Amino acid sequence: MRRSIRTRRSRKKVGQAFELQLTSMMDVLVIIVVFLLKSYATTMNNFTSVPGIKIPISKSQDEPSDSLQVIITPENMTFENQKILEFIQTASAAGSADSDYEFKKQDLDEGSRRIVPLYDALMKAREKAEVLREKSKARDAQGRPLPFEGILAIQADKRVQYDTIRKIMYTAAAAGYKTFRFLALKQDS
Amino acid sequence: MLKRPTSRRKSSSEGIVLNLVPILDTMVTLIGFLLYTTAFFSLVSIESPFPTASTEEVQQKLKEKPLQLTLTLRDTEAEIWSPFEKIKSRTIPNASPGKPDIVKIHSELLDVKKDFPNETKVVIVPTAGMTYDILISVMDGIRGVDPTDPPLFTKNLATGNDEPVKILFPEVIFGNLLGDT
Repeated sequence: MRRSIRTRRSRKKVGQAFELQLTSMMDVLVIIVVFLLKSYATTMNNFTSVPGIKIPISKSQDEPSDSLQVIITPENMTFENQKILEFIQTASAAGSADSDYEFKKQDLDEGSRRIVPLYDALMKAREKAEVLREKSKARDAQGRPLPFEGILAIQADKRVQYDTIRKIMYTAAAAGYKTFRFLALKQDS
Repeated sequence: MLKRPTSRRKSSSEGIVLNLVPILDTMVTLIGFLLYTTAFFSLVSIESPFPTASTEEVQQKLKEKPLQLTLTLRDTEAEIWSPFEKIKSRTIPNASPGKPDIVKIHSELLDVKKDFPNETKVVIVPTAGMTYDILISVMDGIRGVDPTDPPLFTKNLATGNDEPVKILFPEVIFGNLLGDT
């Protein structure tokens, strides 16, 4: 008698379909979606960064559009994701929070104003942009290819000195880039 | 005659089970999309043109004598002045060596803006050793109006109405790009 009841019970269990409790999982997913939507931000540019860079924060609200970019840290300079030069770390910088660095002598010319590797990279990028503009169907009112925009975005570490930025601007201007965009992190409102 | 059996018991015993699987699918897809497209750091920019000058422009300037508002930053102080002496020169001691007093500079520039509401350009002359961080802070102080600032109004020439000034001197030009100090 007892055995028959047990077998009936077990048969019942086997017959029932296994149901996963999804409600708690749904709760977790809803929270994640709400969090992501709250902190969601998209950009219209492809600006990248380099590891270890400390970018300053700015109150500016201007979102930069896509352009060529130079990244400067106290260790090196990167143009369009390619390292173009490395700085010399001076003795005073060792163990100090304020980074001190110098250009290698062969990297500068024109009275230490122009950065040679950057100038070469900028000229190459300009030539490439001009070839693309020649091939492009976009034309101005006179039917000529659109002029070279000459915009350079500068993303620098907090510790980079104005002297370096000045050299970059001088070099860029020599290569035909007349507008500079100083990049910074957006201040949370 | 027999009583008709009630149907209430039957219906109440079976609860409605919502099929959450398609909703779950949507959620997972949405999370994937949001994670893929979100920007984890949001960049902003401050634009500055390379200063250019033609002979004609310089001659025109000499005739008209513009404001040419200039902010010279030194190791111990900052100076707001005009090469054409359109404003009285103001000297602001630095908050600490090498760090300009941005709050004071901002309030002095607000005063200048009161007298020249249509002026948008400022020339800045930083020291060679000034860090990018300070440079950005200075440019922020020069360009924007804070919500806590006293309200400033300018006359819109097209409509004739007084409109609040939302920007201070947004066009920042570096004045010593060829200098050595």
